[in-house]
Amino acid sequence: MATGPAGVTADPAIATPETSQPPAALAARTSEAVKVYGRGDASVRALDGVTVGFAKGQFTAIMGPSGSGKSTLLHCVAGLDRLTSGEVYIGEVELSGLGDRQLTMLRRVKVGFIFQSYNLVPTLSAEDNIVLPLTIAGRKADPAALAEVVRITGLGDRLRHRPNELSGGQQQRVAAARALASQPEIIFADEPTGNLDSRSTTELLDFLSRAVETLGQTIVMVTHDPLAAAHADRIVFLADGRVVEEVHAPTADTVLDVMRHLGG
Amino acid sequence: MLKISLRSLLSHKLRLALTTLAVILGVSFVAGTFILTDTINATFTSIFNAANAGVAVTVHGLQIAGQDNAIGGARNHPVPTSLLATVRGVDGVKDAVGNIFRNGASLIGSDGKPVGGNGGGEPAFGANWIADPEISPYHLRSGVAPRQPGDVVVDAGTASKSHLVVGQALPIVFGGGAEEHFTITGIAGYGTSDNLAGATIALFTEATAERVLEGQNMYDSILVSAQSGVTDIALRDRIAATLPASAEATTGQAAAAAAELSTETTINTFIGTPLLVFAFISLFVGCFLIINTFNILVAQRTRELALLRALGATRAQVLRSVLIEAGVTGLVASILGFGVGILIASLLLSLFGSALTSNLSLQPRTFIVAVVVGTLVTVLAATLPARRATRISPVAALSEALPETQALPRRRIIAGAVILTIGCAALIAGLFAGTGSALQLVGVGFLGVFLGVALLAPLLVAPIATVLGWPVRRLRGAPGLLAAENARRNPRRTALTAAALMIGLALVTCVAVLTDSVRASTNNAIAGAFRADFIVFDQGPSFNSQAATALTHDSKLADVTEVRSTSVLIKGSSQDIAAIDPSNLSKVLALTMLGGDASTIASTNTAIVDSSEATSSNLHVGQVVSFNFPQGATVPIHIAGIYKANALVTGYLVSLATMQPNVPTARDDLVLANAAPGVSQTDAAAALHHDVAAYPLLLAKSRDEYRAFVGASLDSFLNLVTTLLAFAIIIAVLGIANTLALSVLERTRELGLLRALGLTRSQTRSMVRWESVIISLLGAVLGLVVGTVLGVVVASALSSLGIDTISIPGGNLIIYAVGAGVFGVLAAIVPTIRAARVDILRAITTE
Ligand SMILES: Nc1ncnc2c1ncn2[C@@H]1O[C@H](COP(=O)(O)OP(=O)(O)OP(=O)(O)O)[C@@H](O)[C@H]1O
Ligand SMILES: [Mg+2]
Repeated sequence: MATGPAGVTADPAIATPETSQPPAALAARTSEAVKVYGRGDASVRALDGVTVGFAKGQFTAIMGPSGSGKSTLLHCVAGLDRLTSGEVYIGEVELSGLGDRQLTMLRRVKVGFIFQSYNLVPTLSAEDNIVLPLTIAGRKADPAALAEVVRITGLGDRLRHRPNELSGGQQQRVAAARALASQPEIIFADEPTGNLDSRSTTELLDFLSRAVETLGQTIVMVTHDPLAAAHADRIVFLADGRVVEEVHAPTADTVLDVMRHLGG
Repeated sequence: MLKISLRSLLSHKLRLALTTLAVILGVSFVAGTFILTDTINATFTSIFNAANAGVAVTVHGLQIAGQDNAIGGARNHPVPTSLLATVRGVDGVKDAVGNIFRNGASLIGSDGKPVGGNGGGEPAFGANWIADPEISPYHLRSGVAPRQPGDVVVDAGTASKSHLVVGQALPIVFGGGAEEHFTITGIAGYGTSDNLAGATIALFTEATAERVLEGQNMYDSILVSAQSGVTDIALRDRIAATLPASAEATTGQAAAAAAELSTETTINTFIGTPLLVFAFISLFVGCFLIINTFNILVAQRTRELALLRALGATRAQVLRSVLIEAGVTGLVASILGFGVGILIASLLLSLFGSALTSNLSLQPRTFIVAVVVGTLVTVLAATLPARRATRISPVAALSEALPETQALPRRRIIAGAVILTIGCAALIAGLFAGTGSALQLVGVGFLGVFLGVALLAPLLVAPIATVLGWPVRRLRGAPGLLAAENARRNPRRTALTAAALMIGLALVTCVAVLTDSVRASTNNAIAGAFRADFIVFDQGPSFNSQAATALTHDSKLADVTEVRSTSVLIKGSSQDIAAIDPSNLSKVLALTMLGGDASTIASTNTAIVDSSEATSSNLHVGQVVSFNFPQGATVPIHIAGIYKANALVTGYLVSLATMQPNVPTARDDLVLANAAPGVSQTDAAAALHHDVAAYPLLLAKSRDEYRAFVGASLDSFLNLVTTLLAFAIIIAVLGIANTLALSVLERTRELGLLRALGLTRSQTRSMVRWESVIISLLGAVLGLVVGTVLGVVVASALSSLGIDTISIPGGNLIIYAVGAGVFGVLAAIVPTIRAARVDILRAITTE
């Protein structure tokens, strides 16, 4: 590709779409998010004033060197951890004011997760794992929506199996289906392809892309893999707890360029 | 490797805490039992030694076969008072005194009830005051010796317990008769103690003692002091030479030693051995907890142990590292258990009251037994998990996820089935074969059944957990679903945890079925045993005929009939014989004759015998047996009939005329009476109670009341057993808490995940709690089923003892099941707190 770093700006402040169309509604956003671990000399500023938004129906990838704060950002936006200062919103709800129970309810209804290590409940079948968030919430799965989710995972004949009878790729697709099943407003995935081979990686990413395209799902995914990131609509780059770059409609090449650029 | 064991021990010390607690409880029970019995024995030793301090020689009659005195010692025939002069005349005798000392002088408190004494279960002794301070075991603490017929000196222990003071009037009942009135002239200690280990002692002038204790010109013994320079043994031999064949002489020391020995035997039989059995049960249940803990620890350390193996550690080293960890745990727990045992013993002793004032007897033997037993049990129980640890292959260090559910190996199923079969066989043999070692066989049988069921229980976990989990799932949604799945995810762990509870509950259930069967059988038996409207009896020893005489004169009552009893020697073994007035027999008793005729006992020296005695002694109608009466007479008795075993009278039944000439004093076991013709039951009962009120030790009941009364004593037996099994049940509940706590630790990641997916804290707690309840109920189901089966089997084996109805106490079983559910909730308290506290982020980010 000859475009080089086209569409890339170094200034996060103007990192909005290059066209002047109105900003899309945001599924989640942070404002001046700061997260400090530890105290005194040993303190680490994992997030150092991150302001970022995740538009509805968009597939966002978060990249950056190890230790740059990607997981921390994800955990804080997802309501698993609390910011030291700043604000984080899921929809219109500001999280820092919520108690444990309210956060739990919020996660239950609005948030889905996919983890690096598949994190399925070993005692439950694939199907029970998929509907687990609904079961926890005491809701019934919408059979049509569930069938659709199951169809796109391609797990049809393995639904009655327990996790230890599934391959890693299959387990991760179950985890992805679980995240989708409750039709959350936003799904967070932390290195979901980290343990997968290239074929399983492709299958999972195709699956996630399809979820965005056909179901209008919002997904935020942390990854180190440029090929994986290239599936996203937009990439946010972090370094030392700050947003340093954004790329829209990336390709593997543009991603590599930016990474080289940032690394150098 | 030692370093690794110890370091691992330290890092697991929290996880081992409950295991330690289980061992502590078991060991404390063992140690407590020893300390308790040692202390009681030491108390008696010091009492007997002090009481006999000034006695050089004791003269008494020969031992009465098959009878004991009220404190468990052998009982001797009395000697004639005339023998005192003979003994006094022996060269070297400084002084000799006659001693009358008998059970049956109950002091009556201001509430009209016996103080201490028979009402409280301890014996109530009456004795003659012995003036010679050198010989006398009684030492005045205040007041003066009894001089008048109405004077009494009471022991200091009873005086302080019941607030008796010199000058106070004190009613006393002799042999269950009417109150007589005495005045306390003094308070005395016994030897160096306040009294004889809780028994009451009332001391009278010799003439009074002779009258009220029915001395009949006999002394129970003659106590002799020696002139200086004469040894006890020499004096004994000199006295012995002058004695008739019916009397013998022992030194004071030997008498004390004999008394000690017999009380010690009694204490061990009635306190020591039963308590040790329950202590053993607790330890046995504790083993399950230990095995489970080490199994879980080994499972959690699989990767670490595999790494050690990969780095070159041998299997033996791995085995040793686990066993050392167990050994140190057991050792520490045993030492702590010994300490707790001291507390338990002193607590129990304080329940016995001020009677046992001597210091706790802590013998090195107790400490050694406690430590050895506790450590050995822990190490042995840990052997199974340790062997599993050695089978971990070094590759396990590299593998990603460890399979959590293992299928039950066929070997274990076979072993379980074999052990269960052996247990059943031993049980059946012990119960029905009637061999000498029946009790041991039954013990082995129970053990085998419990072990076998425990080994097979994993097979039942999945089905039972599914059934039990169904309502939980319906009630609790996701937490219920997860709880049920968690309960069955590791069947062996769940089974072992539940099996511990099963044992305690099975034993309680078994005893409940037995007592209920006894109750039902007794109800039937009582209903079928006698026709009389009323029964009068004493909870202590038999009583004199004052009450019967009074009732006979009551016009509202008819057919007042005394049932007397004594024991005689037949072919060298002691047998109960009962005597009754034959003319009333058919009006008050309901005897079913299997042969001969009950009315034949009207002729003297004729007996009818119950069917079980007839069978075991191979008796038939027309035979003649020799009764050897305690007073020495041998009487040939003609067997004229056989009656079906009866709830009120057992053994040989003769007429009063046959028994009377051969026993020194008339003693009633029971008095039966009917309402007089034309008198209503209510009026007759009122008259009866009015009459019996004059005899504070006696109880008067209608037939129905009597049935309820017998039932109540069964209830207190059941309560006692349940209390003793409480230790085992507490250990089992600790086991559930332990398993859950360890499982929660193991599932940290999973819990974090569930929390991330929206499981609230309270749902998390609910999940763990319901898992606990399912495990407990599993234990309850197993326990109730096994216990009921065992109870029914044992009860049917005891049909010869009159258990002819088998009854299952449904109400109790429901209570036990509900109780198990509550235990489940209690056991879950700490694990739920831990589970709810899981840090979501830590759980899902740490590998
Ligand atoms: N619980 C914690 N306590 C202290 N410091 C922490 C904690 N979690 C993260 N950090 C620090 O915060 C910084 C950001 O960590 P974070 O896990 O967000 O990085 P990351 O971008 O996800 O890295 P990677 O790509 O390696 O996963 C790091 O310097 C890390 O050491
Ligand atoms: Mg990370």
